[in-house]
Amino acid sequence: MQPPSEHVHWLFATGVLLLALLLLAEAIVGSEVWRRRKWRAYLWPSILFGLGVFMWPVMVLFTNSTIHMLAHSSWAQMMMLAGAAELGLVSGKLKNELWKLCLPAMLAVSGAAFLIHEANPWFYARSAFVHHICGWLLLIGALFPLGAAFKPRSLVYNAGYALVIVGVAVALYTSRDVAPVFGHLSPSAGVAHR
Amino acid sequence: MRRALVVTLVVLAFPGAAWAHATLEQTSPKIGQRLAVTPGEVRLEFDQSVRALANGIQVYDAKGRLVSGAPHMPAGDSRAVTAPLRRLPRGGYTVRWATISNDGHVGRGVFTFGVRVAAPPIAEAYGASGPGTSEHVVRWLYFICLALLTGGLGFRLLVLRSEATPEAERRFYRVAGVGVIGALWVGTLAFLLRAEDALQLPFTAFLYGDLSPFAKATRFGQAFVVMELGFAVVSALVFLAWLTGRNALLWAAFLLSLGLGSGLSLSSHQSDDRSWLPSFADWVHLSAASLWIGGLLSLGLIVWNDRELRRKAFWRFSELAGPLVALVVAAGVYMTFERFPALDDLWSVAYGKLLLVKLALVCLALSWGAFHHFIVRPRLEKPFVARELPKSLAGEATVAVAILLLAAILVDSKPPAKPAPAPAQALAVRR
Repeated sequence: MQPPSEHVHWLFATGVLLLALLLLAEAIVGSEVWRRRKWRAYLWPSILFGLGVFMWPVMVLFTNSTIHMLAHSSWAQMMMLAGAAELGLVSGKLKNELWKLCLPAMLAVSGAAFLIHEANPWFYARSAFVHHICGWLLLIGALFPLGAAFKPRSLVYNAGYALVIVGVAVALYTSRDVAPVFGHLSPSAGVAHR
Repeated sequence: MRRALVVTLVVLAFPGAAWAHATLEQTSPKIGQRLAVTPGEVRLEFDQSVRALANGIQVYDAKGRLVSGAPHMPAGDSRAVTAPLRRLPRGGYTVRWATISNDGHVGRGVFTFGVRVAAPPIAEAYGASGPGTSEHVVRWLYFICLALLTGGLGFRLLVLRSEATPEAERRFYRVAGVGVIGALWVGTLAFLLRAEDALQLPFTAFLYGDLSPFAKATRFGQAFVVMELGFAVVSALVFLAWLTGRNALLWAAFLLSLGLGSGLSLSSHQSDDRSWLPSFADWVHLSAASLWIGGLLSLGLIVWNDRELRRKAFWRFSELAGPLVALVVAAGVYMTFERFPALDDLWSVAYGKLLLVKLALVCLALSWGAFHHFIVRPRLEKPFVARELPKSLAGEATVAVAILLLAAILVDSKPPAKPAPAPAQALAVRR
């Protein structure tokens, strides 16, 4: 018995939104203030790592297409890698700051997976539209953590990164299975369904 | 700009269709069903509306003859596609389907059913060619990853114990990391290769192939689901152990990875619905071999550069290797008797010949191990022995890895068929 895919998307949207709000809070108050309590430094990397672990059940239990499996597998691995790298840096286990590049790599690979996942153009159907929103948001948004890796105190880069994640959460919340409106942005996508 | 933003938010905020393309929810006949009479039609039901293709449902008998008519969509039901069937004689049948989802993607899939016989396994659907070289190589890589992971963890916990130097610790986490990530990747690849063979689709079409029947209706697929999930947890445990330095997490990862090996046993030839013993023997064989071969590889990869630690580790590993080899041999002998109904199958069928080659390599590895245990171990302090030991260990490990390759080919091959029960026995059972 599997939950509907929309419920899974909403659950992940909640996790991603939590992640985004923590990032935003850190960007607003600054890392020095945010990390006065040591455990707070572990918060968002742990959530990112956990989201990666919880993506694996989606990969193996929703097997209605190969590309679906591969895309979710890449998201799972990239989230675990980026979360693990940040946890390693925060704990002092990793010394090399280049590990920070795992974050932009995660966004770039995830964005590419969204775009490759969806073969149709933007306005073909709602699902195509949302896939493109997510894909380009992540792909272009990868520039923010990339900039932050070299200018860690930059408010623009840190807040930009957080807002990209907020955008992804909003897009994930738009996944609905039972709904008639805006299901078809193009009549060439076939008759209205659901 | 503001207007574009508002339009985008409105489009996203209002409810719409699902993200995904159409998912096959139900079939008639059911996937893998054994029917007493010929079904009148094949019916596919999806979670959203679809369009039928001209060759959208094709049903083949075991000889590849098409037994279905042109597919059509029942009036008033845009989520279903049906195709009429001729009167089907007794036998196994393969259904290949393709439909266009409303998102424009062409979904494809395959399943089987039987008329008055059990349905053929999906991996043996009409058109599938069975495991080939690439599947042998992938399974071999899977065994190596398991050995690196389970053997590496066992080596760290049972051999190095609390004496691991920071350098050895760093090397151990690299070995275990490669093992667990490899197990996840190679496991996925093995599953996709098996599905691709049954689906018989070109690469771009395979990307939209429905893998659900493989994941849900085959032991191989069920093992894949459990093992992927399990190894994802193991990877998290190994990472957290590295982060926090807690050995308890390594023990949890070790025990879980040992248990996950049973997934291979439960989906192998040894899996027998009548008894748990063959599967258990297979799991013991696999686990002991993983610990032994993984330990050998770890001796080379983890403590290679540290002479003192290598000496201690070699001593302790020798003590552990004896019982492990005994388990490998005992379980292997039991499985050979179980798998070969007649002794001459060993040299008269391809499976038996492969097993003989594997046994020859096992004998070589055991002799090498005995040489290390009885000849080398008492002379470890001698400079010449200490200098040459790594090369000798590398040789033994190479033979062990070659054994894994043969094991991979054997697992993918079919053992000789067991003789049918005598009529008198069958009658007794029926009564």
